[in-house]
Formats: sequence, C-alpha cells, structure tokens
Amino acid sequence: MIQVKDLSFSYGSKGVLKNISMELKGGNIYGLLGENGVGKTTLLTLLCGLKKPQTGSIETDGRNPFDRQPSLLAEQFYLPDEVAPIRAKAIDFGAERGKLWPLFDMNKYLTLLGEFEVDTTQRMDTMSAGQLKKTWIAFALACNARHYFMDEPTNGLDIPSKSQFRKAIMKYTCDDSAIIISTHQVRDLEEIIDPIIILDKEDVLLNASLQTISEKLFFDYGSQLHPEALYLENTPSGAIQVYPNTTGEESKVNLEALFNAVHSHKDVVKALFA
Amino acid sequence: MKSEVFNGSRFWTYFKYDLAQMWRNHVKAAILIGFSGLILYILGIAFNAIFNSVWQAPGFGARITIFLLACFALELYQTRTYGYLTNRRKGSSWLMIPASAFEKWLSMMLLTLVVIPVAFLGTYTIIDGILALADPTYGQVLIKAAGEFIENTNNALVVANEEYSTTWNLGFMAMPVFAGYICNFLYFLLCGISFKRNKILWAFIILFIASTVLSLVLTSLGLQGNYEVEDLAEAEVIIRKVINWSTASAFALAACLAGGIFYRIKTLKH
Repeated sequence: MIQVKDLSFSYGSKGVLKNISMELKGGNIYGLLGENGVGKTTLLTLLCGLKKPQTGSIETDGRNPFDRQPSLLAEQFYLPDEVAPIRAKAIDFGAERGKLWPLFDMNKYLTLLGEFEVDTTQRMDTMSAGQLKKTWIAFALACNARHYFMDEPTNGLDIPSKSQFRKAIMKYTCDDSAIIISTHQVRDLEEIIDPIIILDKEDVLLNASLQTISEKLFFDYGSQLHPEALYLENTPSGAIQVYPNTTGEESKVNLEALFNAVHSHKDVVKALFA
Repeated sequence: MKSEVFNGSRFWTYFKYDLAQMWRNHVKAAILIGFSGLILYILGIAFNAIFNSVWQAPGFGARITIFLLACFALELYQTRTYGYLTNRRKGSSWLMIPASAFEKWLSMMLLTLVVIPVAFLGTYTIIDGILALADPTYGQVLIKAAGEFIENTNNALVVANEEYSTTWNLGFMAMPVFAGYICNFLYFLLCGISFKRNKILWAFIILFIASTVLSLVLTSLGLQGNYEVEDLAEAEVIIRKVINWSTASAFALAACLAGGIFYRIKTLKH
C-alpha cells in the first residue's frame, strides 16, 4: 500500500501540490486526471522516488521511495510519458535489462512484443515513438512489478495498440498490483481505471471509486433537461448531464463529463464526496 | 534478506549491464581514441614521403604530444560517458534500476577509472608495439622512450653537476601525473552528471574560478613564491617534496571528487 501524508511540493515559488493525503491500495488501477500543469507527473515522480517531498511523507509498504532501496525499486516500475530511446535491439534490451528485475519474465516480454506487433530485432533508437512506447510497456509489464506508475501510457499509440494496452494491463498485471495511470486520454482508459483521482491546483478534488461516484452522481444520457445539472453537454445522440444522485439509481460514469462537472463545481463536488 | 547497500550478486548483475551499455556507447570511442598513434604514424610517414622523399616515422616529440592530447581527449570524454543522467528520460530510467546508489557508483568508478582507460591504453600500447616491431624508423615503444628520455636528462645533469644524484625514474615522475589523471577523469565525470548542457564549458569555467581562488589563497598564506636554491641537489629535494605533495593532494582531491559523484547519484532528482 502507498500512503501519502500531507505531501507538498513546489517548483521555486510555484506551488504544485499542497498538503495532499491519500492511500493507494493494491488491486486497483487508479486513474489520475487533471488539467495541464496541476502536478500529475510531479505526483507520479514523487511516488516512485524520482523526487523528494518538500514536506509530508510517502511510504510504499513502509519504505520511503526517495531512499531508492533496491528491494523497492525491484517491486515498482515508472513509465514516463516520453520514454528513452535505447541504443539496442528490443530483444537485447529485454535480455540485458530484464536481469535487473528479479521477477522479469522474458517469455512474457516477447509475447507482449508479439501482441503489440513490435519487431524484436529493430534497434530501439530507430523505432517510431509508438513502437518505442510499446516496447517499454511490454518491458514494464514483463517486470511483474507490484506498483506501476504510468504517465500518459497511451500517448503515441495507434488505435489498435490502445486496445492491446488495455487488454495487456488487465491480463498481465498481478491481482495485488497498485497501478497509477496519469492520463488526458480518458476515453482510452475509462474501461479499466477505477478509482478516479482528479487533481486540481495544489489540491485533490476527487478520489473515489466508480461505485462511489455513481452513488453520489447521476449521469443522465436522456434528452430531458435538468436545471440542477452540474454539467451539461450536447452530443449528436442527445445530451449528457451530471447531477447529484438523489434517487440512488445507478448510471454509467462518463469520465469526461465527470471531469468537467468536478471542475465547474469544485466546492459542490468536494462537499458531496467529503 | 539482501543488503540494501551492497549485494554481490546484484552488483555483478548490474555491473554486467552497465558494462554492456558502456561497451555499446563509449568503450568503442575510447578504443578509437587509442588509434590516434596510428593516425599520427600514417600522417607522418605520408608527410615525409611526399615532402622529404624518405620513409621516416614521426619523432618522439610528436608521439608524446599526440599521446598526451589523446589522454586529454579521453578526460574530456568523461563528460559524456554518464552525461545522460541529466537527461530526464534516460536519467529517470537509470535511477529506477533496482541497484543501490553505492552499487551504481562503484560500477561507474570501475568503468570510468579502469575499463575505459584500459581500453584506450591497451589499444594505444598494442598499436605502438606493432609499429615499433614493424618499422625500424619508428624507434622504441613510447613508454621505453619516455624512460630513456628521463635517464638521458639525468645523465646530462650529472655530467654538468658532480653533486647531483641520479635517482629520478619514470615511476616516481609519473605518480603525480597518474594521480592528476584520476582527478581529471573524476572531475569531468562529475561535471558530466551535474550540468544539463555545455558540460565541458562549465567544467572549464569552474576549473578557472577554482584555480584563481586557490592561487589567491596560497599567495595570501605565503605558500606560493620563488624558492632560491644554491645547487641542483637542494633543488632536487624541493622538487621531490613538490612531487610528493602534488601526488598526495591529487589523491585526496580524487577521493573528494569520488565522494561528490556518490552524493550526486544519491540526490539526483528528475
């Protein structure tokens, strides 16, 4: 389990995260959403130990990530938005680097590369951005880590690859893995991410499971307008409205509508989920 | 339970990985720099053949100059070997490798101070030896020629001054050079992993500032000045002291630089 307590971080005088607290439990795929510049990447890099908290603390299974203890590094994987173009063939990269992760599975790596249709004999620094990203995703999942921190993993992937990515995440990660995915591409991942964390400037606006969200908010796809709606969006097939769920009726959560509703009525939503 | 600071099998696994990366990216460059002696030889032979119509290899002066320049190029190259650590993509990927900061540092020290210099010196020495065997105009191998150069200088001094003792040898003279070389390697390595851009430029700016400040401090402490000696024997004693102090201070500085590199690895953030 990852415990974040009163975490604050700023770049010079520009505050990014302020007194953030949350618990990230194994067996969940967290969707980390937020506008540009609210600190999604900063939070991910703090969680994996690439940055040091300025105040507050982070503990991953009782260990401080910034200590970068080999035992913790072996149990986690950080996949940045822009991955490194390694000067090696994909197959050699797996064979050499995989040895550093005790639970790395070369067969799984090759299977994933096959599913992603990546040429294993191609040098990584000559690959397209999408191919390179898929190679890194395959490597990450083959490491059999317990904690994954993925920053915009579907960026640069073509449409079939996005679907393969979703399948791979569901199929090839451990049941007790805590996966935190930061994304703007909510439609790419809305079938797999749950719970949802929405970050705002220096704050967490929402941290709740889809079940809780659907209990508190109703997503109406009908054409009858509700004046109490927190968010309304007209679509070619009708409209999406988000309003407080007063009847207890369940509805399918639309992440884009949720995000916009949360952002346009921050205080209402925070009070609703408090 | 494995130690979080050092574990033999984990270090060995990491070292092999680091070596493979280093081989792919930088050891080949060190070997290429080792070919500088051959390049000089070819150019010297060609120059003499064209302009003097003789088959004559370059002389000792040109050879030692090129060797020292090659050593200097290799020192500067250290800003590149691990320079990628300041790159957000590559550096963060390196930091997330499951090895301790000490293991990563140790591997860095071994590759920088042993593997790369050995690759360079090995290549240079082999080529030098082959040329010395193959071409009678080439003369002796460089290290033997340097030894003879010092011995001849000694003999000349002895002839000129009866009181002068002839105890200089290549090993003693090379010690501060060797220690300084380690210092330079570590200094450029530290600059390489500290500055994101213009690594070599920054290295020289800091070197200039540090040497200016050091010079001012030494002068103000009265430790720098002209030594008046009556004969060469007295000069020899002073030179010996200077060499010993230079060697000791260079090794102490090297230890500080190695510590600085470890600190940088330990606190590196992305």
